[in-house]
Amino acid sequence: MSLDLQRVTKRFGGLRAVGGVSFSVPDRSIFGLIGPNGAGKTTVFNLITGVYKHDEGSIRFGGTDLAPLRPSQIARLGVARTFQNIRLFGQLTVLENVLVACENLRRSTLTSALLRSPFFYKDEQEMTERALSLLSVFKLEEMADEISTSLSYGNQRRLEIARAMMLKPKLLLLDEPAAGMNYGEAEGLKQQIRWLRDTFDITVVLVEHNMQVVMGVCEEIHVLDHGETISHGTPEAVRRDPKVLAAYLGEEVEDEARPAAAAAAEERA
Amino acid sequence: MPRPLKRVITALVLLGVVVALEFGFETVMPDAAWRQLALFAMVNVIAALSLNVINGMAGQFSIGHAGFVGIGAYTGAIVSGNLHQQLGGGDPLFGNSFLVMPPALLASGLVAALFGLVVGLPSLRLRGDYLAIVTLGFAEIFRLTIATATTGAAEQGTVGRLLGALGGQIGYAGPDDTGVPQYGGPFWIFGAVVLATLIAWRLKFSGWGRALRALREDEIASAAVGVDPTRYKVTSFVISAAGGGIAGGLLASMRDGNPTIQPDQFTFSYSFDAITMVILGGSGSVTGSIVGGVLVTFTVKLIEQLQGLDSVLALKAAYPALDLNALRMVLYASILIGLMILRPEGLFGERELFGRRVVRAKRPPVGPAEPVPATTGAEAAAERPGAPPEEQPPGTAVEHEVKPTGREFE
Ligand SMILES: Nc1ncnc2c1ncn2[C@@H]1O[C@H](COP(=O)(O)OP(=O)(O)OP(=O)(O)O)[C@@H](O)[C@H]1O
Ligand SMILES: [Mg+2]
Repeated sequence: MSLDLQRVTKRFGGLRAVGGVSFSVPDRSIFGLIGPNGAGKTTVFNLITGVYKHDEGSIRFGGTDLAPLRPSQIARLGVARTFQNIRLFGQLTVLENVLVACENLRRSTLTSALLRSPFFYKDEQEMTERALSLLSVFKLEEMADEISTSLSYGNQRRLEIARAMMLKPKLLLLDEPAAGMNYGEAEGLKQQIRWLRDTFDITVVLVEHNMQVVMGVCEEIHVLDHGETISHGTPEAVRRDPKVLAAYLGEEVEDEARPAAAAAAEERA
Repeated sequence: MPRPLKRVITALVLLGVVVALEFGFETVMPDAAWRQLALFAMVNVIAALSLNVINGMAGQFSIGHAGFVGIGAYTGAIVSGNLHQQLGGGDPLFGNSFLVMPPALLASGLVAALFGLVVGLPSLRLRGDYLAIVTLGFAEIFRLTIATATTGAAEQGTVGRLLGALGGQIGYAGPDDTGVPQYGGPFWIFGAVVLATLIAWRLKFSGWGRALRALREDEIASAAVGVDPTRYKVTSFVISAAGGGIAGGLLASMRDGNPTIQPDQFTFSYSFDAITMVILGGSGSVTGSIVGGVLVTFTVKLIEQLQGLDSVLALKAAYPALDLNALRMVLYASILIGLMILRPEGLFGERELFGRRVVRAKRPPVGPAEPVPATTGAEAAAERPGAPPEEQPPGTAVEHEVKPTGREFE
């Protein structure tokens, strides 16, 4: 098991944002984490990546307990993420945004940067090559030298994924990557997620409200509501679970799912 | 031209220029006051370049740079003063400066860096404006500790006596009170500016500088890609402090400068001037710090000179209540406000004078095939792309999924 959560609880003052959540994400799977607004999905991501520390339970990644680690250390273990409220390095170019993510993989030192030694140039060139190749996966190569905040919303989301992939992660956490994307873009995203998993042998955990994407790409789904687990299983099983239907209320997940999901996506855009 | 050759030629040319300045400076600038001002501007450029590392690149607001410059100045003065004594005193000769300046500047930088570490380690772990408060407090504590060391009963005990030897408010003028030896001629000062520029430039345009700028933009996101915010912030703060210390070391032994180091040279107003240089030139810009350093030094001086103008003196005679010093600050502030209205991002923004345009070769496409065009749901469901594998670089081969049956939502 790549990622393993056991009875994880997080409180914000009196609010129990995550309550006793347990799940395991199999290696190389695409795993969905869904639930209505405020269910605690983003908080789970923040707990895994060390932005917040959990109050109870344990979070392990590849056998390592993540509790004592700082966010940058967890990232270096191979856990990469994107953010629901896009967090790009605003004044940096698209290419620079991606390059920052391999700073910790660099072999040449600060001294060699100051001396501009051959190692420095070699490192920079290799990194730039890899960065451009990742950018081209997301069709962002043409915009490599533009300031990142000048990109469209959808491209900013794709850039966040490219940046996360630059870390050479083993686990990729995507927080609502399809938000604001239209039907065609979401289809493209599905393929890109599968392609990343297959090409780089990574595990993907996907938080997403767009059911077209979730049901289309996930192999296993975990459903949260009010911080607690209400369902878990294959997409078909989860889709038919009455508790899930009840939690989503009006957001019909069953038969008219596509129009409802599309409407939901439009609403969020 | 191959890169190493180009570098050697550039270095030789710069060395030639700096040596020429050492011997030709008095011919170029016969007026000692102007020479002093020009050298002081160069010292300020180094202070601005170093402050730019933490304030501009890392985006951490330090407002106590005067403290590090001051520590460097006192350290440099002590080291060069004592070495000068060892060398037998007399006129500070250019040849001897090679024995005095390197250790003096090294000590200035190291001691300031050490204080930078002590100040930065606890305060940079915290978010927000703690650094501003701590650096301001630190600079003032440093200044007041030295200024008050000779008053009252403070000159008791070893530490008290050592601090008292620095002359308190009156200032430090070398171990035998004959003035700090002025080894810092144009060679050392302009040479240091060249080196400082080179270092600042290379720091900025390296992965390290990139990570620093990323951190400034978003700390959480940079930690999420493995950049440890505390480590980068502390390192840049220490580098910045060391640079400030070296600026101080140069200031202490600056030719045509004041041979006495006084605590009043390192008040908050000097920290403020340094911040002005960085922001006026453009936060994060190396070129900006250089231009800002020169501009602020000369502006402050010119406004001071205005006080001596006949018309201003006549004005003062007509209105004796007029406070010319206060008026000077009003004028300075107005100029700054005007510039910030005209160019809020500073003269250069984060840009540099010599922008480097990158030309990249076209590369073969990588990644999954074109996404499904935005068609109606039925069409899209009916036909998923069979995706013919395109030309791909080795190692990035695409394995297109077989359409999973039953799992698809459509
Ligand atoms: N830093 C915080 N301080 C206090 N409460 C918080 C904090 N972060 C999240 N919460 C609360 O925790 C609960 C879960 O929030 P979370 O963002 O994890 O939900 P989510 O499932 O990601 O929702 P959405 O689908 O809207 O993104 C919410 O009630 C939220 O208000
Ligand atoms: Mg969320």
